[in-house]
Amino acid sequence: MKMSKLTRRMALSAGLSLLSLLAVNAPALADGFPERQVTLVVPFAAGGSTDVVARIIAQKMSEDLGQQVIVQNVAGAGGNLGADNVARADADGYTILMGTVATHALNPLILKSTPYDAEKDFAPISLLVVVPNVLVVNPALPAKNVEELLALLKGAPDQYSYASSGNGTPLHLSGELFKSMAGVEMVHIPYKGAGPALNDVIANQVPIMFDNLPSSSGHIKAGTLRALAVTTKERAASFPDVPTVAESGIPGYETYTWNALFAPAGTPPEVIARLNQSANTALKDPAVAERMKEFSATIVGSTPEELGAHVKAEIAKWTPVVRDAKVQMD
Amino acid sequence: MDLVSNLALGFATAASPANLLFCLIGVLLGTLIGVLPGIGATATIAMLLPITFQLEPVSSLIMLAGIYYGAQYGGSTTAILINMPGESSSAVTAIDGYQMARKGRAGAALSIAALGSFFAGTVSTFLVAIFAIPLTALALQFGAAEYFSLMIVGLVSSIALAHGSIVKALAMVSLGLLLGLVGTDIYTGTPRFTLGIREYADGLNFVAVAVGVFGVAEILRNLEGEKTRSVLMAKVSGLWPTRDDFRRMVAPVLRGTAIGSALGILPGGGAILAAFASYTVEKRMSATPQEFGKGAIAGVAGPESANNAGAQTSFIPLLTLGIPANPVMALMVGAMIIQGIVPGPNVAVEQPALFWGIIASMWIGNLMLVVLNLPLIGLWVKLLTIPYYVLFPIIMAFCSIGVYSVNSNVYDLYAVAFFGLAGYLLVKLRCEPAPLLLGFVLGPLLEENLRRAMILSRGDPTTFVTRPISAILLLIALAVLVVVFLPSVKAKREEVFQEED
Repeated sequence: MKMSKLTRRMALSAGLSLLSLLAVNAPALADGFPERQVTLVVPFAAGGSTDVVARIIAQKMSEDLGQQVIVQNVAGAGGNLGADNVARADADGYTILMGTVATHALNPLILKSTPYDAEKDFAPISLLVVVPNVLVVNPALPAKNVEELLALLKGAPDQYSYASSGNGTPLHLSGELFKSMAGVEMVHIPYKGAGPALNDVIANQVPIMFDNLPSSSGHIKAGTLRALAVTTKERAASFPDVPTVAESGIPGYETYTWNALFAPAGTPPEVIARLNQSANTALKDPAVAERMKEFSATIVGSTPEELGAHVKAEIAKWTPVVRDAKVQMD
Repeated sequence: MDLVSNLALGFATAASPANLLFCLIGVLLGTLIGVLPGIGATATIAMLLPITFQLEPVSSLIMLAGIYYGAQYGGSTTAILINMPGESSSAVTAIDGYQMARKGRAGAALSIAALGSFFAGTVSTFLVAIFAIPLTALALQFGAAEYFSLMIVGLVSSIALAHGSIVKALAMVSLGLLLGLVGTDIYTGTPRFTLGIREYADGLNFVAVAVGVFGVAEILRNLEGEKTRSVLMAKVSGLWPTRDDFRRMVAPVLRGTAIGSALGILPGGGAILAAFASYTVEKRMSATPQEFGKGAIAGVAGPESANNAGAQTSFIPLLTLGIPANPVMALMVGAMIIQGIVPGPNVAVEQPALFWGIIASMWIGNLMLVVLNLPLIGLWVKLLTIPYYVLFPIIMAFCSIGVYSVNSNVYDLYAVAFFGLAGYLLVKLRCEPAPLLLGFVLGPLLEENLRRAMILSRGDPTTFVTRPISAILLLIALAVLVVVFLPSVKAKREEVFQEED
């Protein structure tokens, strides 16, 4: 396996140098892009929030590029399988990745060895959207706001548990960051995905959870869950009455999930520019804006350089959290 | 009277020409992919999601739902004809259904499966309509401790699944439990038994294991000699069940429907657990348990009804809470979000036409399926007359495409090959693959819920007996154990075992 990886890398870099030569001599290369369908790899199961964002964007990008952008779900290993597939794919722009905070900041920090380097193995294309997380509790819990929850947790340390979508996921780390910044204790109960975790919080088997806002929003509106705070710096447009964690007594607290497009490192800049333009055109589409708003996702968009800087900043931000929470995996 | 007006709204929505058409497309596609071994509803729905952008939300969800329960129908066809479960939940049907086919009763087995499924689908659709909301409340009573105790009941009852030596059955269940451990430990994130292969980080694929131990192993066995192969096409007697068959399928269908409806509501388990549970119950209640594994009608009728009922009622948590019970339901949630519908408890109130339209379409879809499938039975049975040297490479090709399409993971194909060989070895050793699969399904659930319950109780094991539902389930498990090891029953078992030798 090692050997084939090595030869593959060598072939890749040889191909790359050839490509870059071509690129210098023939800037027209990108003019023809794309000549066939583009595969957008989603490193999570179909139906999840990353998948939904990918499908909404892919449809608009297909219209703009004049070629189909096909969503392919390569789920597994917390997003690492799909990300690794793209990192090793041909750097021609026909295989791109829907990256997230998990694949490009958390996994590389949490895992003792990652198959790819989040910065070196990818060429950033564009940041797409930011999805807020939310602190929700079962309505039977006496706490009506973050202050009351903190009082409850301090009064009975070790009595309360919180659910998350799994060990080392952004939602788990949102909880760990909350604990360390507020100086409180809660026992973490991981689940296989947000769905079953949400189920147990609604059933009051576990009283507290950090969730993606889109997956909880129906329950917050119906009253089966009580939202105590959103985790972003500013309040979410879809829930203007729900305060932020930062304004509720834990200043500086901020977590969110983000989605961004990446190509394999070495993809010609013209191709990256074309994909970036297409992604940002899709984000400006009113129908996409409407969908994203219903979904509680904030449209951001960016240049490739801005996304590169964003990845750096996110890794810098999560490094101490991961260290303090002592979440390390093999 | 609310129910009547709601159902009227539902049928008015579902019976519009466009929705009828999409329902038909859905069940047709579902039957087709169900028949093709390995290609599951999840992969198909994932591929079709982009198309649903253009449709009305109701039409797209009706079509996707049709694919799902259509696949449950179709999946049993290949399970019966060639011992290749087209869907994971039809793995149980393969046990006795295939034996019926080998005796020349493929037509009868297919009819029983179709009629049982239709009955179960009808009853459970009405259960969904009438009791969706109270049943949801009941399902929410199930926490980690209750799930653990439920799995214990399943595990203890699994001894009844085997029709040979208890020791071998236990060995197979244990092997299945161990195989279920492969993957990442969700509490620590440590990879276990993955041999350092990242592609196995999320565990072995159930479809790959099932296709391997049932289907590929059977192909290997058939290729052994001309004699065994010709058995398949030797004598196909009577396409339809006899009057006696009908008499013998009534009770199993009723029990299967009840079991399937109940287990379908619980997230995570659903149709496959229901099928296993029904098989166990039928074998326990049968006056002739020695027939099981050799083509018992109850062994087809019960599990088929159970898996179809479970498939229908697994819509309950989706419709009332917006929480997906399985990967297919997760895709439906995705489809709803893409259409701008936020899944949650309010869907029934805010979108009554959608909510009741889907429910009504389930019954219409089931009707279409039975009308479609009964005439096809003759055609399916003809498949058996295709020479085996033509048939088996086709089966292998479709299996490979199907299994690969689930996760686009080539290691799943290696798993099929490995478990095909392993399954062949087990057949030679006269070990049953069914208890192995059951252990494989139950193992991860058992462990996950045991550990979750223990973390929640802060290490206090009395949580399993102080929570009433959990305590009752454990008592049931105890009762099953007592029955199994009661001297008289034990003697009867041994008698049966000796007859088999």
